[in-house]
Amino acid sequence: MEEMVCIECPNGCVLTVENKDGEIIVGNYKCKKGITFAKTELLSPKRTISSIVRTVFPDIPVIPVRVSGDIPKDRIFDVIEEINQIRLDKRVGRGHIIIDNVLGLGVNIIATSSILINT
Amino acid sequence: MNIKKIQKRLNSSFDGKVTASYRDNSIVLEGELSSWDDIVKACYTAAKRYSKTHVVNDIKFTGAEIPKMRVPDFSDKSLEGSFWDVLIIGGGISGASIARELSKWELDVLLADKEPDLALQASGRNDGEIHPGVDLSKGSLKHRYVLLGNKMYESVCKELSVPFERRGQYVGFTQRWTFPFVVLYALKKKYIDDVTDTKIISRKNLIAAEGKINPNFKFALFNSSAACVCPYGITIAYAENAVSNGVKVSLGTAVTGMVVEDENIVSVSTNRGTIYPKLVINAAGVFSEDVAKMAGDRFFSIHPRKGTDSILDKKAGVLLNSIAAIKETALKRSHTKGGGVLHTVHGNLLIGPDALETYKKEDTATEPSSISKVFAKQKRTVPALTERDIITYFAGVRAPTFEEDFIIEAGRKTKNIIHCAGIQSPGLTCAPAIALDIEAKALEMLKKDGLVINENKSFNPIRKAIPALKEMAPKEREELIKKNPDYGVIVCRCEEISKGEILDALSSPISVPTVDGVKKRVRPGMGRCQGGFCMPLVIQIIADYLNIPMDEVKKSYDNSSVLFGDIKEKSKELL
Amino acid sequence: MKEYDVIIIGGGPAGLASAISAKDEGKDILLIEREVRLGGILKQCIHDGFGLLRFNEKLSGPEYAEKYIDIFNEKKIKALTLTFVTEIVKEENGFTVSVVNRDGVTNLHTKTVILATGCRERTARQIFIHGTRPSGIFTAGTAQAFVNIYGQKPTKKCIILGSGDIGLIMARRLTLEGAEVKGVYEAKPTPSGLTRNVHQCLNDYNIPLHLSHTVTRVFGNSRLTAVEVSRVDENMAPIKGTEQIIECDALILSVGLIPENELAETLGAKLNERTKGPVCDNLYMTSVDGLFSCGNALHVNDLVDYVSENAAEAGKAAANYIKSERKLLEFSVGENLLYIVPQSIELESDLSAVTVYFRSSGDFNGKKFTIKVNGDTVFEKKYAFLRPPEMEKLVIDMNKFNLNMNSRIEFSII
Repeated sequence: MEEMVCIECPNGCVLTVENKDGEIIVGNYKCKKGITFAKTELLSPKRTISSIVRTVFPDIPVIPVRVSGDIPKDRIFDVIEEINQIRLDKRVGRGHIIIDNVLGLGVNIIATSSILINT
Repeated sequence: MNIKKIQKRLNSSFDGKVTASYRDNSIVLEGELSSWDDIVKACYTAAKRYSKTHVVNDIKFTGAEIPKMRVPDFSDKSLEGSFWDVLIIGGGISGASIARELSKWELDVLLADKEPDLALQASGRNDGEIHPGVDLSKGSLKHRYVLLGNKMYESVCKELSVPFERRGQYVGFTQRWTFPFVVLYALKKKYIDDVTDTKIISRKNLIAAEGKINPNFKFALFNSSAACVCPYGITIAYAENAVSNGVKVSLGTAVTGMVVEDENIVSVSTNRGTIYPKLVINAAGVFSEDVAKMAGDRFFSIHPRKGTDSILDKKAGVLLNSIAAIKETALKRSHTKGGGVLHTVHGNLLIGPDALETYKKEDTATEPSSISKVFAKQKRTVPALTERDIITYFAGVRAPTFEEDFIIEAGRKTKNIIHCAGIQSPGLTCAPAIALDIEAKALEMLKKDGLVINENKSFNPIRKAIPALKEMAPKEREELIKKNPDYGVIVCRCEEISKGEILDALSSPISVPTVDGVKKRVRPGMGRCQGGFCMPLVIQIIADYLNIPMDEVKKSYDNSSVLFGDIKEKSKELL
Repeated sequence: MKEYDVIIIGGGPAGLASAISAKDEGKDILLIEREVRLGGILKQCIHDGFGLLRFNEKLSGPEYAEKYIDIFNEKKIKALTLTFVTEIVKEENGFTVSVVNRDGVTNLHTKTVILATGCRERTARQIFIHGTRPSGIFTAGTAQAFVNIYGQKPTKKCIILGSGDIGLIMARRLTLEGAEVKGVYEAKPTPSGLTRNVHQCLNDYNIPLHLSHTVTRVFGNSRLTAVEVSRVDENMAPIKGTEQIIECDALILSVGLIPENELAETLGAKLNERTKGPVCDNLYMTSVDGLFSCGNALHVNDLVDYVSENAAEAGKAAANYIKSERKLLEFSVGENLLYIVPQSIELESDLSAVTVYFRSSGDFNGKKFTIKVNGDTVFEKKYAFLRPPEMEKLVIDMNKFNLNMNSRIEFSII
């Protein structure tokens, strides 16, 4: 039996994970998110990441972005590399897609602030 | 004391490892010792307090390597081949005040300091007390100048627009039996040593004046002339006024050597070129012995003595309105009072300093033991003091001689140098008076050389300070903001400093466009958050002002950048 | 002089939430913010994890803040930005608030004030770091501002002192942006931040966490060149002989947050030793009549969701404030409890749903949060685990307790 910290919410439950004849048994969770988390974490761990992109606007040199959904943990730095290439020259708002389907992972890089349009 | 007697005493302590001899009217000590404390002890053994016959320390220190003087890591030719009537070496309170007094005359004066700003060594790293001189006796230069300097401070600070407050100093005594001795001491101070404001006050009056002071004080020695000033503030103000009156200040300029011919300094080499001064004034603090040596006029030695002070949050300012210290006979007599508690002109409390001998002239690193020792003692002055209120602390290195007096005189061998050396507490207090004497001496020496010196007709003794909006009445503040809205944009929330004030600092007569340079002039980052919130804003204001990227803005020294550049340096234009 | 019902100081999550709820009570309110933009420190908290309780969504800080800013703007609430409060004076019928901004100096009058001023970070000096004073010593929040707001690199190779949440978050942020984080050092034997952050910010990136270690000295005359770290004993005092020099160009500090209460103090509001914020009642009113406090100015919360929640309650209470004799019953803090907020209740107020926030004083498994009135247990709740970094919240019907001014109400973890 393995222990695993669930990162789905601030509770940070210490889950127990057991592989019983190919079936994954999760224990010690406070909510169902724990079960999903443990299973994914064992098979193909996923994470959310946030970063910033450079803009061409001197008043707002960078704006915050994040992935619209979880990405495989082992692709984090590949995605960051894509974000690093961007230089934003349009005043876009919160939710605007900055990179569509990044690296074919099925998620977008979206702006998480409207500071460029609300200044 | 004759040399044989000195030798005998040295032999009893150092087993023949140190020899003493008279050379050029100085007592030269030679030999080898591995402990710096022993070297200091040996030199004290040979030295006579306040004597003009100085100890020159040539004892080789084998215990560690003495660090070399830190010099700027750049060089240029900006001063190459320039001629000056007077070169002042050192931009501390001594050099700055001398520069200002000399600016009353039509002279070409250059003030050079190796640091990126003024007052970066001892002058900016002390408690800012303007001493009454109650601990000094007739016969020393310290005593002479402290009485003169103290009296001058009001008018100097008024001319230079520097905050100055006479808050008075209490020295409290816990032992009732000492009362008759202290009475006699006070009488001597008042009537023989001319410290005329000295008086003894009762416990009742003491508590009435300072409610939070140690209730066990039975009585106190009080001097109403004790005062507080911002030590780097007054230094910068002096230098700015000098610049406004024609003096050139060259920072980041280290004197590295001199050519001396026929007992005359011909040229002085610096990292910014070789310069040709008629007269050199040595106000180089801990390095004044090194400068004297370059000039072929080394007749004294400096032994660096480090002190550490703590600054408390303004909240703690209510604990004491004045300057106070505790005195107990059991406490060993040391070179300073072992510190005190002082209400600064900015409303904080300052605790310290202590005194530790060191061979490192520029060791301004702080040690936890210094803080805890000073606190342990000063909690007996003001019991409610707590380390939890500390917002920052700093250390400075004093530059005393072994005779523990100032050296204010022309060279003994070299003809065109004036030494302003051995300056330590109460050097800040004495500076205005010393500067006048050095001004007179310099004029006399230059005139003797045949120079005709005219008054500087456009000399203006008044320095206009950067407005401190927080201190202003609302109406006055309102008027300034109407003229310049940047005065209404608060950048530093702890000290309530506006963008306008920061821009004023950047365009002041001696602009030092660094985070520390701005902080020293208008105080953003001096408060309880220590710049956590305002540092990025200050860096941005400096960058915008100089039209440079943020990562080129320095904290202080040339290679002290705060940032390493664009985090997304790989980004490119999207088509 | 302009006259308001409520003036809110601070435009971060607490200020925004309290402004919105006060406005909903139909009152004339004004929010004062010293920065150019609303949103407070959330503007630079670009990582996700905000809003799980409030919106059931994993939002980044700016998204969370802007959701509130949108509502704030829709409701046409008045705000003065780039405006700094220089003084608040208590008067017979409220307060005079003096502000300064580009237009000059203005006095405003209000019946009530809500302090939503947030918190600040402890500095290197406050934790007695010694040595030289080079550039390269940053609080985690300052480093975060440089990276996330200015897009600037504060370090290439650093260590982080303190395992508070911002420190952990910054360890990950800096790593993602190409810096090397050589380790996180924590003087306490347990991490200060949330367990999930230790996992997703450190473990995911193989950043070592050194517990029971602290930084004892910094080196470098211009830029920081190295730090000395030492092991500490159980009293957190460095152990001689365990010093180790680590080369790096920055020391980033995440060593605690302190509520900003200089304004509260000048008004004579009583502060709590433990929370470092003002003491308050269940209506978030401080010891000064008409002066309210919420969010991180009141006590440092670990979740912005809680900040918004108590700020909204404070906003409502301030809007409906009517001056009257207060009947406060003070809470006693019993064993194993670090603190509880509020510290008292107003017996004349609605006690059917009193929100309490608390932290345990140590790590406990299977203990019960217990309320005793006059020695009798009237409420208990069992917790599988309680840790000081993880704040707990409960809503309790206190009408059931039949409290009066002579009651003794004690909270403890047993």
